[in-house]
Amino acid sequence: MLDYIYDGSFDGLLTAVYEAYYRKETPERIMSEQCYQENLLSTKLYVETDTVKANKVYQAIKNKISYGALKNVFYVFLSELPEAGTIIYHYLKLGWKIGNQVDKHLTDDRVLTVHDISRKVGRERHLMLGFIRFRQLEGNIYYAPMEPQYNIVGLVAGHFASRLADQNWIIHDVRRGIGAVYNRKEWIITNIDVKELKFSEEERNYQQLWKEYFNNIAIKHRFNPVLQKSNMPTKYWKHLVELT
Amino acid sequence: MQLLDKLRILAAAAKYDVSCSSSGSTRKNTPGGLGNASYSGICHSWTSDGRCISLLKILFTNYCVYDCAYCVNRVSNDLPRALFTPEEVVALTINFYRRNYIEGLFLSSAVYKNPSYTMELLLKTVKKLREEENFNGYIHLKAIPGADFSLIEEAGKYADRMSVNVELPSSEGLKLLAPQKKHEAIIKPMSLLSSKITERKEEKKKYKQAPKFVPAGQSTQLIVGATPDSDLQIMKLTENLYGQFKLKRIYYSAYVPVSNHPHLPNISAPPLLREHRLYQADWLLRFYGFSAGELLDADNPNFATDLDPKTDWALRNLHLFPVEINRADYEMLLRVPGIGIKSAKRIVAARQVGPLNYSDLKKIGVVLKRAKYFITCRGRYYGATVVEPEHIRNKLLAGSKSYQPQYQQLSLFSLYPDIFAADEQLSRITGEL
Repeated sequence: MLDYIYDGSFDGLLTAVYEAYYRKETPERIMSEQCYQENLLSTKLYVETDTVKANKVYQAIKNKISYGALKNVFYVFLSELPEAGTIIYHYLKLGWKIGNQVDKHLTDDRVLTVHDISRKVGRERHLMLGFIRFRQLEGNIYYAPMEPQYNIVGLVAGHFASRLADQNWIIHDVRRGIGAVYNRKEWIITNIDVKELKFSEEERNYQQLWKEYFNNIAIKHRFNPVLQKSNMPTKYWKHLVELT
Repeated sequence: MQLLDKLRILAAAAKYDVSCSSSGSTRKNTPGGLGNASYSGICHSWTSDGRCISLLKILFTNYCVYDCAYCVNRVSNDLPRALFTPEEVVALTINFYRRNYIEGLFLSSAVYKNPSYTMELLLKTVKKLREEENFNGYIHLKAIPGADFSLIEEAGKYADRMSVNVELPSSEGLKLLAPQKKHEAIIKPMSLLSSKITERKEEKKKYKQAPKFVPAGQSTQLIVGATPDSDLQIMKLTENLYGQFKLKRIYYSAYVPVSNHPHLPNISAPPLLREHRLYQADWLLRFYGFSAGELLDADNPNFATDLDPKTDWALRNLHLFPVEINRADYEMLLRVPGIGIKSAKRIVAARQVGPLNYSDLKKIGVVLKRAKYFITCRGRYYGATVVEPEHIRNKLLAGSKSYQPQYQQLSLFSLYPDIFAADEQLSRITGEL
């Protein structure tokens, strides 16, 4: 058994795929060092991240397979599942063999798994576009904490940069300790550590108005909390202003 | 009156309007402006009744000059009333939007003083949002029936979607429950909006810079269960509205008992299942290529309660089935119960690269517990039953949760099973009818 281990970055993963191709090896697994657990039976290869090699793979996905495949690969990478690297590796191998028709092979498990995970990540991204709640802080900065299952902060930031273009805002992935910070011009992903938050004067007022609205727009004759929870899973409730 | 009290009253007054969608518009943000529209729409929260919140849905006021029996805001109803100012609505919208609570504003109103006066207030509010606040989020605006056409037309320049609620499916129902409203007064603004939207679409083809006019189209709402109209009448009306006025959406609202008016049905709970069946049928009309006449006819004017409209149709047209998954065209696949638009598209894509077998269908997302009775896969039928309507119906119903089977364990000590009524048992013994 041969395991490839990369540093956990997207470039690292692409470099690992590059190495497998040029060394003419077929690694059993491609894993990030964060997820890797030692195993007596397997040989390990630590892949050194190389942006030139990574970029070659990136271009090869885009040109030899499709842009859609590239998006799928990136979304699966963001799922941060331990087996994500291996799944991507098998999908890409098939993709380079078949070309841009690979996403039509819906009955092939290598394709199906990638589509499944990619869809889940995409769905959470879409939900988060709705569930993110900004709080206005002193100094007119809008701050939104969130705890998504997948690492999607980079996928939602662009949406808010064009929508709330005239605001200073921070979207904070509390569990991962990272966030997107926007200064009315551009956004970056950076490490964030929040100690104390001071709300602006009118913040409590608008939170109260929003809660009042939320409670009065429901029709009690149609009370259906099961439906509510299936549309809005309770794991996201913690940071929703109207439900706290 | 405090803003909080106003919001409480005017949100509660707006809640019976079902429309919540924020889709269909591609409005972009402007330099220095706030907001944009998302083409697919975004839901921001779900309330305890399971309905989504996408827009800040409020009435401008619930002071009303009309006395429509089905409506909670009728003038004869004793309840707290409130009236916003345009500034208050603008402040709420902007501040909620900046916190990402909402996708935009859905502004409706009761008829205050007269229709044109009300429409002017609505117009003033959205104009302020767009021109003074540079707000580019989604705006859904009600066109008040009976208001001056020039006001409605001007409002269309600022709104993404406009709607006129038909409310009652037939003009008889309207006479009975809303004698002050005229059928024509509702239809006229709809046809005005529809022709303006079409006109502007043509212009857009020639000049890309032509200003927007209600880019997300118009919608309407029908109340279900307040009048004796059948599902067939409602579906025919639906079909006409989609065809004639090119409506984007029609919403169905199960009548919630808000009044004891003698002309209204005496019900304790809204007819939610009927509403659900109408939505299912609505989708069949818009996306599945069905017509109202196929789903219902004079002999069956209402939808079955135990099966969805598509399965019901399939059982009545069993001569068309089973269809071969690897050969049937897209339109026919769409008509198979258990196959939706996504799975039909996937089937068409997947079979370009190889034949599909039965286990592949599950992976693709076909609901096999329904579909298996109506398809063959590489020539084989997997339904394990005779292809007869009654057999398939029984099999389908046995799989549903609400089904109570009509049989029981027989006992040595009872002569006849309890499921037969007493006089039926007697006639079985005596042979008399």
